[in-house]
Amino acid sequence: MSNVDETRTPGIDESHERVSYRSRQQFWDLIESPYVVHAVLAFAMMTVLVPFGWELITSFKANSAIYNLNYLPANPTLQTYYNVLIGEGYWKAILNSLLISTSTTVIVLALATPAGYAFSRFRFRFDNLLFIGVIFSRLFPPIGLVVPYYQIMARVGLLDDLLGVTIAQVYLWLPLMIYIMRNFFISIPEELDESARVDGCTRLQAFRKVALPLARPGIAACGILTFLYSWREFLFSLIVTSTLDAMPISVAVFKFVGDVSVSWASMAAASILAIIPTVFIVVFFQRYIVTGLTSGALKG
Amino acid sequence: MGDVKLENVTKRYEDVTAVDNMNIQIHDGEFVCLVGPSGCGKSTTMEMVAGLTMPTEGTVHIAGREVTNLPPKDRGVAMVFQNIALFPHMDVYDNISFGLRLRNFEKDEIDRRVDKAAEVVQLEGMLDRMPDEMSGGQRQRVAIARAIVRQPDVFLMDEPLANLDAKLRVHMRTELQRLHKDLETTVIYVTHDQAEAMTMSDRIAIIDGGQLQQIDPPLECYNQPANLFVAGFIGSPSMNFVEGEVTENGFTSEYMDVEFDPSNYGVSAGDKVTLGVRPEDIYPAESGRSISSPTGEIRTKTDVIEPMGDEIFIYLLLSEEVETDLEDPAASNQLLISVPPDSDVEEDQDMSVVLDRNKIHLFDTESGQAIEHSLVASPAASGASGTSGAESDD
Repeated sequence: MSNVDETRTPGIDESHERVSYRSRQQFWDLIESPYVVHAVLAFAMMTVLVPFGWELITSFKANSAIYNLNYLPANPTLQTYYNVLIGEGYWKAILNSLLISTSTTVIVLALATPAGYAFSRFRFRFDNLLFIGVIFSRLFPPIGLVVPYYQIMARVGLLDDLLGVTIAQVYLWLPLMIYIMRNFFISIPEELDESARVDGCTRLQAFRKVALPLARPGIAACGILTFLYSWREFLFSLIVTSTLDAMPISVAVFKFVGDVSVSWASMAAASILAIIPTVFIVVFFQRYIVTGLTSGALKG
Repeated sequence: MGDVKLENVTKRYEDVTAVDNMNIQIHDGEFVCLVGPSGCGKSTTMEMVAGLTMPTEGTVHIAGREVTNLPPKDRGVAMVFQNIALFPHMDVYDNISFGLRLRNFEKDEIDRRVDKAAEVVQLEGMLDRMPDEMSGGQRQRVAIARAIVRQPDVFLMDEPLANLDAKLRVHMRTELQRLHKDLETTVIYVTHDQAEAMTMSDRIAIIDGGQLQQIDPPLECYNQPANLFVAGFIGSPSMNFVEGEVTENGFTSEYMDVEFDPSNYGVSAGDKVTLGVRPEDIYPAESGRSISSPTGEIRTKTDVIEPMGDEIFIYLLLSEEVETDLEDPAASNQLLISVPPDSDVEEDQDMSVVLDRNKIHLFDTESGQAIEHSLVASPAASGASGTSGAESDD
């Protein structure tokens, strides 16, 4: 017969512990059990999917049927979509959003990639100060800058103009993307550039032939994020646009909120239309976002 | 053609001087190792030769022309980096041919040279592999092939074997030597591993604190170190040092004396000097080994014993009041000796040792500069070598 207490951890004196090691481990084992983890995930998913499902269902109802107490539409219809897209001319808003987001993405990538590279590679006077300045410009609450921005756009005649909205989007997302690209380039060993330069590259060639191809995941992640962010941006676009000539879909959705009533079904249909491209992008390109944003953390 | 000359080269970073007034002349076809501890400036020196770092002062000449302000691509150098630095998005062929393609070589010529380089480093049949599909040794060969394919005037190698495991390192060391013999191109090789430097190079440049300490053939650095730093850095285990001063009769310290005639060595009584002797130049008195010029016996006590297989290292205490300092084998109060593996030694046993006067080095303690590398000349009093007495005073 063994006289060792088998409920105790061998070699560990538990007498001084307020809560025994064993009890604490049992608690954490429970927290990490698949049941608890799945329950938490299911709850989190519901908080995302229920409003979305509600909106999807609403979009298939006629405006007049919104206040019926049925969850599912009695007579599902695509009429609301037709009204929104063609009747209200919201296809223009979607086109505007596509133009604004695409050009914002191209401009931001064209500027953030070389800027991120320069901040990662070159040491020059006040380089850190300049970099902090870039980040700092993004720390202002956007609402505080809306009025001066409106005045500038009014002065240069870019109100209700696609270019005006695009400039705002570039201003909003460029600093963050410079920051991400800089971190990404830091994760690419500088010896690769040096090796290319010894092999015969100029600095620019080393950037173009070596650093740039290796930064593709980072560039892809930045591009996707910029597109998504500028697609859904609301505040600046709302301030500088007033008609469907330049209004992106994120603002156009809001136009269904009238002074006396809200066209819920139309707004739901417009919202669904607005998120289709973003869902598409996230589903097909999410692996680029993950690799692009994490490779720096892993390698660096 | 591939000679390299650094004249008064200095590199300062704000308040740090990484390289201080370096003057080195490397001849065509020579294999020169730059060695020194981490942060001594050896890599910065190499980067200045490569053109990756611009010197604050001084000039760099390669193959007879001044290249101080030329970009790396125009210097006729090729470089192998410590982390190998293969382009991960290119296969082996593209990696090796990168420099040739940049220079718009004909496709046939590129193929011919790549095949030749691959053959030299034994990479035939692997040209379509990606770097991440290769082992560390194979990647290193690709890096070397990438360097040799351009037929540069000078190869620069910045600790190229540091990331390889010990066995592969020894193997690649031999291959690099063979390659140098075949190509007869100037090689500048940076390492902090003095064994690498000793085995591979025609000359070793030992650098410390950004300053060149000595540049000489390996055995000369080993047998005639220019100063205390070189003496301590070259050789493993390190040289033993005993600080003391010169008297009328020779050297005296707290723990041991060695007689010699100071006037023969340009020192005089009262000078602070450090005596240096390598572990293999100290012999147990009872070993019966005949030495042409032994010192008198020094009584010591064995402390830690380290059997290495082919030899045994013994830490000897010169005084009972101190303990062995394994961190600093060159501490003044202990001697590290190496004896044959069949020697019968135990810890805490009394042992008398003698030093080989042929191999005793004398350094100026203050400046660290070497004064003499052999104390075999006649002692002052007796005039006969081998009869001098050295006494421990424990």
